[in-house]
Order: sequence, then structure tokens, then C-alpha cells
Amino acid sequence: MKRRGRGIACMWYPIGFTVAANPSAAVVKINEDGTATLLTGTVETGQGSLTILAQIVAEELGIATDDVHVVSADTDTTPMDTGAIASRTTYVTGNAARLAAEKAKGILFEVAAPLLQVKADQLEVCDRKIQVKGFPQRHIDIGDVADRARGVNGQPPIGSATFNPATVALDPETGQGKPFATYVYATQIAEVDVDDETGEVEVLRIVASHDCGTPINPMLVEGQVEGGISMGVGFALEEEILFDASGRQVNSNLTNYIMPTSLDMPEVVVEIVDSYDPTGPFGAKGVGEPTCVSTAAAILNAIHDAVGVRVTSLPATAEKVYAGIKAKRAQEAKQITAG
Amino acid sequence: MTKVTLNVNGETRTASVPPEMTLLRLLREEFGLTGAKLGCDVGDCGACTVIVDGKTVNSCLMLAPQADGRDVLTVEGLATMERLHPIQKAFEEKGSLQCGFCGPGVIMSAKALLDENPDPSVLEIRDALAGNLCRCTGYSKMIEAIQDVARGDNRQPVGESA
Ligand code: FES
Ligand code: FES
Repeated sequence: MKRRGRGIACMWYPIGFTVAANPSAAVVKINEDGTATLLTGTVETGQGSLTILAQIVAEELGIATDDVHVVSADTDTTPMDTGAIASRTTYVTGNAARLAAEKAKGILFEVAAPLLQVKADQLEVCDRKIQVKGFPQRHIDIGDVADRARGVNGQPPIGSATFNPATVALDPETGQGKPFATYVYATQIAEVDVDDETGEVEVLRIVASHDCGTPINPMLVEGQVEGGISMGVGFALEEEILFDASGRQVNSNLTNYIMPTSLDMPEVVVEIVDSYDPTGPFGAKGVGEPTCVSTAAAILNAIHDAVGVRVTSLPATAEKVYAGIKAKRAQEAKQITAG
Repeated sequence: MTKVTLNVNGETRTASVPPEMTLLRLLREEFGLTGAKLGCDVGDCGACTVIVDGKTVNSCLMLAPQADGRDVLTVEGLATMERLHPIQKAFEEKGSLQCGFCGPGVIMSAKALLDENPDPSVLEIRDALAGNLCRCTGYSKMIEAIQDVARGDNRQPVGESA
């Protein structure tokens, strides 16, 4: 018989390690046609980092995301980056990109201020224009200012910046300190059906509620969460590298190293908890790895809720779940006889 | 060597190949069509999915001579220079792919599904994609994109592409 259960798991995850140098650098060049070029050492692997970085630069400069040309991961041209690792790109590289854009923008403001007859700090950017705060009708096109900055003022609008979350040594005796710049939080709830005659677990639904600071691109955040959950489902129920006595992997192909297919994946509901981290670019933190932290715990709690069995080693294969159910029944039968 | 003649994306192509060459290698190495990917080469991952005579096949499991005289459609046959196929467009708009390695196979599976069943249920979509492994996305946004195409959210004028 199928038994339904629900389980919940919460987590926090650190973003921007501080125990060692963790820098990212960026260069932003504002072009005479009002577009911008960003140089970054980070790598796009499909998670959408370069889109996020372009959005950050666009937001800082008041231009469109499509106006930002991103040059990435080329040792000939781009600054070195600590890496597209540790869920750090939006936070660390994003901060570097925003700071570089801010510097380039500062040059434009210096050039535009006398033309608009105000001080530089009275200016803001909006819709590809530099305008006077509170008087948007007094404005100049960013491209025209960039052209003038180079051609008249002799100062091309180029900014470069580094962001390195302040390195804090851990206490050598207690191992305590401030190992990360910021943290993200999440809760996931899993609903499962467990067949108590076979031990087979079907995940029906996962609701995932994630804080990543301000979501710069909610669609990409959802993509990360959905992908992380598929890894979590695999971790919980299917995936395991098996070795023989001599240390050779015995399940080295995808017929026996099992990972979730479209039929194994439940309905996934993603909820983004909008928050704001003042140390992140426009309030953003990160979202990569944290997405698969709670999934297995939530599923295993749901299995416990369904059939009262605690599986303590992953993956919770049907065999293990069924063994747990059998052991529990034997225990109960013993108690009845004893009673 | 065996001579094979087949129709690939509407064009007749011929090659002289060793009899053990797979259709996937024929497409990639002889015809330069590198859309279909070599993931596992043993029929497990679906990255090499193409459509042969209207049905999806793992092209790593089909020998090139077995494709002789047949109609093969690969992901390169979907878009024109001017526009993406509605399935590709929907995948782009939904952010359905991340690293993209599974993409050509997934899109061909979706195409074969929609050709046969223009209004599939979520379960039918999941079933059609079950042979295409994706490590990145959890499949959610692919399923949503295929639903969008089925609903006509990405429809384009008839006859503009495959
Ligand atoms: S390459 Fe053909 S199924 Fe994996
Ligand atoms: S998008 Fe990376 S494997 Fe599917």
C-alpha cells in the first residue's frame, strides 16, 4: 500500500569565503555609442552568471542589459577571477563589476556636471541618459557624454575595481571567526509516496523557499533551484558511486549510476524570499550550491513521516527503505508478543 | 566501406563509411553536423537524439548503413537563418537549458512528441523526455516551454520552418 508523507528541512549556506584571499576584479568601459563593455575573468557554464553581471552593470549605468557586451574568461584580456565556484559569482564578481561601473560612471558625471550646471553628486543615470536628480528634463545622452569625456576632456570613461571580502583569520585555538561574508537561507518541503510492500519512494512535490538576497534575475534563480533539487533528489534516492575491493568504480555508466530522469522529478514549486543584503550588489547574495542542501533531508524526513523508518545512509534505495519497514514490523510484532 | 545515401534535413547526402560507423559519427564527422552530441555512446543519455522517419532514435545506437535511404532530421534542421523553431524559441524564453549539452537531444524529443501529439499532458511530456538526461535543470523549464508551444504561445506562420 502506498503511504503518503511530508518532510521539511531548513538550511543556511555561506557566500563569499573570507578565510583566504577571495578576489574578483572587473573592468568596465563605457563606449561612445552609449553601450558598455565588461571584462570579467569568471566563466559562464549555463547558470547565467554573465547575464547577471550584465544586468548589474546595466543597472549601475542606467542602460539596457543588451547594451552591455561581456568579455569573459580570456587570460589574454580579462582580469583573473577566483572562479565560478563556491556560489560566489553574483556576490563577489558582481560587486567588482558594480564598483567598476560606478567608477566609469563617476568619470561621466564629472564631464556632465558643468554641462548641466550642477555638481556631480546631483546627477543620476536613467534610460541611457545622465540627468539631474529631481529634474529629469535636464539630461544628456550617456553616449554623448562618453564621447566628450574622451574627445574633449581627454579622459575615456573606463573603470576598474576589485572586490575581496575582507580576509579574517580564524582564531588558531578555537577555530572561530567570521569565515564568510554573508549567508543565505532556505526551507524545502517534500511530499512523497512510499510503497510499503516494495520500499519504493516516489517524490510527488517539492516546495522550495529560498533567500538569495535581492534576486537579480528571478528566472535564473528558479533555474538554479530546480536544477539543485534534481541533484538533491538523486542524492536522496538514486545516486551513489560504488567501488569494488580494488577501488575500481563498478557503476561507471548511466545505466547503473542512476540519476533523475524527467519521470523521477516531482512537481517543483519555487518561492523566492526577496531580501536585501547591504553588502551585495544591489542587495544580492548567491544561489548556486545552496539549492541542493535541504532536498535529501526533506525527502528522508518525508519517508519517516510516511512509514516511520529512519534511513541513515544515502541514497535511500527501495531496498534500504523496505529493510527498514521489515525491521520495524518485526520490532512491533515482538512488542505485541511480549506484551 | 559501405556507401550510404540518406536525406538529412531535407538534403540528400552520401558518404562512404566503414560498416560499423554509427549514425551519430556519420552526422558529426562526415557531414559536420555537430548538433547531436556524443554523451555516453551506449544509448543511456539521449544527447545524440535525432529523428529518423518521424521517430526519435539514439543515433549512437544506429549504424550509419541502417539509415541508408531514410529521412533524418537533426537539430540543425529546425531553425532557419531568420528564425528559431518555436520549440527553440520557447526554450530560449523560459531559460529551459543551462549548460545546453542535453539541449539538441531534448529539443528533438520534444519535436517528435509535438508532431505526434500537439496537446500533450505534463505526464506525456515527461514520458517523451525520459530518455534525455539533464544534469542541470531538473527539467521543469523544459516542460513549461513545451507546454507553451503546445498552447500556441510560440506559434509562427505556417511553412516558415521545419
Ligand atoms: S550518446 Fe547516444 S544515448 Fe548517449
Ligand atoms: S542543460 Fe546541462 S545537461 Fe541539460
